This record gives sequence, C-alpha cells and structure tokens, in this order.
Amino acid sequence: MININNLNFGYSKHRPLFKNMSMRLSNGHIYGLLGKNGAGKSTLLKNLAGLVYAQSGTLDVMGYDPAKRQPALLEQICFIPEEFYLPAVKIDAYIKANAPFYKNFDHNYFTDLIKEFDIPVGQKLINMSYGQKKKVIIAFGLATQAKLVIMDEPTNGLDIPSKAQFRKIMASAMTDERCIIISTHQVRDLDNLIDTVIMLDENDIALKATVEEITSKLTFKKVKEIDDSIIYAEPSLSGYNAVMPNYHQEESKLDMELLFNAILAEKIKFKPLFS
Amino acid sequence: MNNTFNINRFGLLLKRQWLDFGKIYLISLVVLLGIVVGFYGYNIPSPLKDNYLDYDGNLDMRFRYPLFLILGFVFISIVASSYFNILGQKSRAILELMTPASIFEKFMAGVVYTTIISLFSYLLIFYLTDLAFVKYLNGHLSAFNRAGLKTVESITQEVFNDEGYRKYCSYFFAFPFLITSLFLLGSIYFNRFHYIKTALSLMVFIGLASYLVVKFSMWIMEGKVPYHHSYRKDDKDWILLALLLVTSIITIITWAITYIRLKEKEV
Amino acid sequence: MEFRDNKAIYLQIAEYVCEHILLGKWKAEEKVPSVRELAVELEVNPNTVMRTYELLQNKNIINNKRGIGFFITDDAIDHVKSYRKVLFMEDELPVVFRNIYLLNIGFGELESRYETFVKENFNA
Repeated sequence: MININNLNFGYSKHRPLFKNMSMRLSNGHIYGLLGKNGAGKSTLLKNLAGLVYAQSGTLDVMGYDPAKRQPALLEQICFIPEEFYLPAVKIDAYIKANAPFYKNFDHNYFTDLIKEFDIPVGQKLINMSYGQKKKVIIAFGLATQAKLVIMDEPTNGLDIPSKAQFRKIMASAMTDERCIIISTHQVRDLDNLIDTVIMLDENDIALKATVEEITSKLTFKKVKEIDDSIIYAEPSLSGYNAVMPNYHQEESKLDMELLFNAILAEKIKFKPLFS
Repeated sequence: MNNTFNINRFGLLLKRQWLDFGKIYLISLVVLLGIVVGFYGYNIPSPLKDNYLDYDGNLDMRFRYPLFLILGFVFISIVASSYFNILGQKSRAILELMTPASIFEKFMAGVVYTTIISLFSYLLIFYLTDLAFVKYLNGHLSAFNRAGLKTVESITQEVFNDEGYRKYCSYFFAFPFLITSLFLLGSIYFNRFHYIKTALSLMVFIGLASYLVVKFSMWIMEGKVPYHHSYRKDDKDWILLALLLVTSIITIITWAITYIRLKEKEV
Repeated sequence: MEFRDNKAIYLQIAEYVCEHILLGKWKAEEKVPSVRELAVELEVNPNTVMRTYELLQNKNIINNKRGIGFFITDDAIDHVKSYRKVLFMEDELPVVFRNIYLLNIGFGELESRYETFVKENFNA
C-alpha cells in the first residue's frame, strides 16, 4: 500500500524533520502514529497525502507518487486534518458538490454514519460545533470508500459518546483493502483500535511493531518493587506500572502510554528488541 | 483515468467552486451594479445641470469611459486576487488540494472564474446599465428643450460603430487578461494581503521596467538615430501590434507561473 | 464491555465469548457474531477479534464454516470449561493461594464459605 524509502524532509534545510526514513505500510491494518509534539506526526501524514514534498527519497502510495496529486490517487485518500474547513452550506449541498469526485462514494453508508453520529441532517454546517463538523468530515471521508484513510488527531473535539461512536465506526471501517493511519496524543481513546504502533522520535521511526509483536517481547504489569529486569517503570497507586522483557510468555495488555514514555526514556534498551 | 484533464471532472470542479464562491460573487455583482448605477445616476446629463453638452454639442456621456476602465480594473483585479487566497488558509488549502481533480483542472477553474466569468459578468452588467440609461435619456430628450439634440448612443454602439475606435480597442484586447492573470498569480504567491501586495509589486515592477526601457533605449539610440517630426501612421500600428503581442505573451507567461506555483504549493 | 488492564485484549474477548457460552446466551451450533460485528460492539480492532476466534478455534470452542462464519461447536461447553480450568489453575489460583497463605486462612473456613456461596448464587 505505502512504501517510504529514504525519506528526507524538513521545513527548512537546517532543521531536518526526517532523516532517511524508510517504512512499509500495508492494507488491513489500523496504524497508530505516536510521537512527541513536533516529532513530525502531522508532517509524515502530509507527506503521504502529497500536501508537502520530500527533499529526497521516494514515496509510493498505491503505485502513485503523492506529490503529483493525481486525481486517481486523490480519490483513494481520505485525509482528515486536525484543522479543517467546511463551507457554510447544508450537508446535502456539500455532498452534492463533493461526492461526485469519488466514483465509489456510498450515499447510504454516509446517511448511516450521520445517523450513527447523531448529526441533524438539515442543519447548516456553519452552525455546527467543532465536534459535529469533525464527525461530518469523518463520515464523508469514510463514505468515499477511499483505500487509504489518514486521520490526524481524529478524537480531538469529540465528546465522550462520540468517541465511542467513533471507535465503533472505525472498527467497522477497517477492511482488508483499507489502510488506516491515525495519529494521536490521546492513546487511551484508541488503544484497542490500533493494531500496529508507529512511533516517531529523533527524525526517524523509533518503533514500528504490531501489538502482538510488542506484547510477545515485552510484558506490561503492575509490580510492587523495581528490580533489574524492569526496563522502565512509573509509580502508580499500588506500586509501579512496569515494562519488562517477556521472559515467561505472559500475555499482558499493551499499555500504549507506558510504552510511549518507556521508549522516549530508554531508547537504547528497546533497539535490540525490535530490529 | 485521465489524470490531466477530464471534462466531467472539470465541470464538477466548477460547480464545487461555485459552492464556495458563488454567494460572495453574486453579492459583489450586486455591489458592482450599485456602483455603476450610482455613477450613471450622478453623471448623466440632466436639464437641471448647467453643462450637459460635450464639445460636439451632443449630450455629454464622456464620463462612461473612465468609469468603464477604472471600475473594470478594480472589479476584475479584486475577483482575481481573491480566487486563490483560500490557499493561504491552511485548512481550506488542504480541502482544496485533496479534492480529486488534477492540478491543471484546478488551475483552469481559476482562469475560468477570474477571467472569463468575471470579465463577462462585468461587461454584461455595464452594458445593461448603460443601455437602460441610454434608453431612458432618449425617451426624455424633449425635457432638455433644445432643438436638434441628437439621440444618445450606447457605449457599445459608440465604440463598435467607429472603425478607428474598433481597431484601436482591439489592440488592447489582452489587457484585461493580463490584469486578471497578474492578480491571480498574486493571490497564490502571497499568503496574506494579496491585493495590496500584488498592486505594490506591480507598481514597483512597472516603474523599474519603464525606467530600464527608457535608459536602455537612450543608451542604444541617443545621438545615433536621426529623428524627425513627420508623423508616420504605420509606426503607430506597429507599436500597437507589439503592445498586443507583449501583453498576450506576458499573460500566458503569468498563467504558466501560476500553474507552477499551484503545483508546488505546500500546506 | 469494560476491559481490564492486565490481560491481553484478545484473551479478554475470549473470556467474554466463553462467558456467553457458559451462561447459555450463545448456544451450541449457533452462529457467533462475525469478526466485524463483535469488533464494532466491543470497539476494538477486527484483527484482535480474529485472533480471539483463532484461539477459540484451536480450543475447539468454535469452528469456521467456510463462507458462512463461525459457529459454536456441539461440545463447546466442555471445551470452555477445560480451557477456563487451565486458565484458572495457572493464572488465578496462585493469586488466591498467595492470599490464603499470607492471611492464614484455614481450608475448613474456605469450604464452608464455598458451600454458602454456591447455595446463594446458584441454588444448588
């Protein structure tokens, strides 16, 4: 689906954001893109969508170079940016003007999604709250049946019931033909949806592994005391939340936040585990 | 799938752009109409005024020419300079660039809106207003109490019935296109204050260019070419033809640069 | 469904399915929800549910009828019980034992407690 090869990118020549980054993404997955502020999550997503251009290296998205912005590729990309724009019209006017660009657009599915999200159909987009608008563009994007779904902080601005609706919708939107990439700070909102974690740090990919791989190599558990086997631990009410090598084939639940902090703090210790 | 140009997709794009621009565009047309009507109403010859005749002894409609030119410049340049300004706003630019249409189609939609539609609607509004006022005047000629007063011609008749005028005007054919193309480029080149920045850059550029041309021609010709005062009509035609050519070429070059800027636009 | 934070999600989903079978909500030879349906209901990645179903298939609790979906096997309840028993013995019992040992609880007390519990909850 996506092949990134030796990507170099920076908004200015002196401050590179990605150095020789390479990665393959395939369909049938929901990738969770994690990283600190400024690590380049949004920028990586923009590179994939062809909104910014790499300084060097190649990017292949479904056989196309996204930088060429060809309609054949654009109609296969659903890009939900963090800040988005919707014109001041009613939903049906918006659909009428934009849906025909996507030859696979599924109007019934769109109606279902709008219903699922509890959005009043007759309302003008401009009178909607940020969260409602966001739900409209998510519904529109998914109804295009695009094969590549890119979402930048999709749960930002969604209220608690909407987050649950969003998770349900994403669970049903994930098909074998689709590749879904979600960047997020709110890992707790999405951690059961994500099956592969991609973590950006220091101009490169610090980790790319499936949840299965991670939990087969690492175990996440609460411990009373810290010992040498523990790679990283954070104090909690009943002792410590710890990450340690999975010596006994335990099947623990991946704690994404803990993993995130662990990798930032102990990068060197993780390198040999995932290479 | 044709990734460069597809007429259906282009039609869809024009329709979609209308959703964004349509309302504001129609409002600006109403404002335009108001301004034209206002100027006509204020300047039209009336028996209550002292001077309502021009030097030929006809009703004085000369205000129409500067009005047409200045207002035309202002209108088409404003429309052109607002077209791509959405690309200066991050969120709108993303929506725009991610729309599944080719760069060429998006560029052409810009040209169609800023050049063809805006020019056409300006001409139409001006023509209709002028026609209405001319009809009204001619219907009330007796109110002037003046014998032998000729009926007024509409501005189009005035221009197109006179061969000299017609020929003269045709040389300036590319000018409106040049103006819209330059302001269209400005709208994509600058992220904010497109109009002011474009206008300023143009003034600086034209000033500089004129200075250089004059200096250069003085350098190659001063004291080398005998000049005489005899008027040669051929020369004038030739210069006007060159003007037409140069304006057309600059227009096309400007459009080409705009296309490249659009292609290279990053968000 | 509320997930606990100590056990892999796919195992928690397996328990959820087993629970439904033991409680008789899903009966033998009935079709279980499709991978997608269950993923949507539980708000998890379909791949995770797929992993659960593969596990349950290995334990002969469900089987895959090609093209139709997953069905509960005839003797699913027995398989669930033996699967759960293994899990209990390996995972939960050591914790209970630890507490019994630490708190010095006698087996006699445990036995009578167990009997009242069964009486109250299962009317046996």
